[in-house]
Amino acid sequence: MRHWAVLVAMVVQVSAVHGEVLLSEAEISQTLSFGPWPPSLETDPSNRVSGDSRAIALGGALFRDPILSVDGAFSCASCHLPENAFTIPQARALGRAMLDRNSPSLRNLAGLRWYGWGGKSDNLWAASLHPILDELEMANTAENWKDVLQGGLYSRGYEALFGPLAAQPPEQVLVNTGKLLAAYQETLVTAPTAFDAFRDALERGDLVAAASYPETAQQGLQLFLGEGNCVFCHSGPRFSNNEFHDAGVPYFLSETEVDPGRFAGLQTLLSSPYTLNGIWSDDSQKGGAWAVQSVRQSHADFGTFRTPSLRGVAETMPYMHDGSLKDLNAVIRHYNEIDLDRMHADGEAVLSPLELSERQIASLVAFLKTLSEIRE
Amino acid sequence: MFRMSILLAALAASGAAAEDLPIENRPIFDAHIHYSHDAVIQVPPEQVAKILRDAGVRKALVSSSDDNGTQLLMAAAPDIIVPALRPYRRRGELNTWMHDETVIDYLEANLAKNTYEAIGEFHAYGSDIKTPVIQRMIELARARNLILHHHGDRAALDLIFDSWPEARVLWAHSGFEDPASVVDALDSYPSLWADLAFRSEMASRGRINPNWKAAFEQHPERFMVGTDTFAPERWYYVGPHADFSREWLSQLSPEIADNIAFANAERMLASK
Repeated sequence: MRHWAVLVAMVVQVSAVHGEVLLSEAEISQTLSFGPWPPSLETDPSNRVSGDSRAIALGGALFRDPILSVDGAFSCASCHLPENAFTIPQARALGRAMLDRNSPSLRNLAGLRWYGWGGKSDNLWAASLHPILDELEMANTAENWKDVLQGGLYSRGYEALFGPLAAQPPEQVLVNTGKLLAAYQETLVTAPTAFDAFRDALERGDLVAAASYPETAQQGLQLFLGEGNCVFCHSGPRFSNNEFHDAGVPYFLSETEVDPGRFAGLQTLLSSPYTLNGIWSDDSQKGGAWAVQSVRQSHADFGTFRTPSLRGVAETMPYMHDGSLKDLNAVIRHYNEIDLDRMHADGEAVLSPLELSERQIASLVAFLKTLSEIRE
Repeated sequence: MFRMSILLAALAASGAAAEDLPIENRPIFDAHIHYSHDAVIQVPPEQVAKILRDAGVRKALVSSSDDNGTQLLMAAAPDIIVPALRPYRRRGELNTWMHDETVIDYLEANLAKNTYEAIGEFHAYGSDIKTPVIQRMIELARARNLILHHHGDRAALDLIFDSWPEARVLWAHSGFEDPASVVDALDSYPSLWADLAFRSEMASRGRINPNWKAAFEQHPERFMVGTDTFAPERWYYVGPHADFSREWLSQLSPEIADNIAFANAERMLASK
């Protein structure tokens, strides 16, 4: 189907006028796996209002309104600033106390298998409920939220989608609110970037267009695929396998507390009524429920965190589950000098110090920046 | 968050008989603990002792890189700690130690000044066992009749018993082998015990794996549990691990459950 041999042979001709396509045939094949972008948006069958324009608008309004908080102190947007790629520039957000983890960006969340750093939800509407109920965040209750909603600005919009409020138990109102927030968040998708233009040109066989992608970024991509083996976890169009790993980042919270990561996430998930396998899913076929039905707990879960997407990554600093690395350069240096003493001998075998040169680090950072719309 | 009840800690500390306790309070002999250089800095010995007591850990086989951690814990919790001497000064030596002759000096110096029940946990695969450093280490253990806590494959295990047929060996993580392979090794060597550290497959979603259950029933006196505190933060997994162990052990007969929880390890030590 693709004539890579011909394409590669064209490199010399292309480079005479433009830059070069530096990738090998195998690297081009791997590069195509990062697209196309954006993916076609499918509605979530577990959420009856997914894709509904009224729900998206109402969910967006609720997202920005501190009314969801028990005392009007916080909105979702307080820790997920729309103007800051739906995260915050601080390492960790200040709720009613300093929270344990970095606020993840809320872009490109539709259709994931797990949500949150610890994966305590298997769907976006359930993930949206946690901050509403968390004592350190909005600290609300289903009962209080129903009372507030019933007498307020949003009741008409809610009832148009879900029917009369008065007849609904508070928990149902809460879950429906999560579904409104999810409908809105599903629309938060990063735009195609310079990398996507490169990738799409390669798919078309348009080496002239592809050659305009900076050589430094191509060298970084080669490291990403090869020597760095970043692709092992950061794979697919989202640049994430969406699973849980020990990236060698310490996870102490204080002198006597640690963040258990996936271990605690699984405990929450497996006791939650708000999964794709539960009664609150609107999908009679229970699509996607296989994951929560089959997931197994492991000792290796302790202190592991979900692989973040790299889409728009240059806009979401600081990095890692605790926001402990201030920029992309620091992230690469972390993996460059990773402390294997921290890792189990039979654990994350893929990790070893990358030992990249300064020039290679710069190339890798240049590549990662092309996954964002930011221009130098 | 992960703390056991005060009642449990008090009962465990008092050495109450297991049969007097509810299953959820079954004492644990944690046969795979490390307290290495970085953990010493981040989790003080007194905090470690509290974690062990809160988790209902009656005894713990502790080896550390370097040995300073084990000695600090011996001072903080002498009633719990069973000392083992690890041939590493830092954890990062686990792939290279068998080619470093200074390891022998380190072992001899510590053996001369401290008392141990075991040497290990040491990592060795296949013909690593034939290296002069490991052969000398085995001689040191033999001279003192110390247990060898071995992390490695069956080939290395066979070579250990070739070198010292009467050795008492604790096979860390049971070699990451499947139950049938572990049973085969236990069938082959009467003085081999199997630790289950960092193994999760024995039970899942509250149900014990039938193949593992069969292995435990074939060798009810040879298995034991362990947490493996390979990074400082893992100390905070000692409690959850003890709970996990109690949960799946409760699906075995009370006698086998007690054996795996603590009695097998105690008998292994007494077999000297």
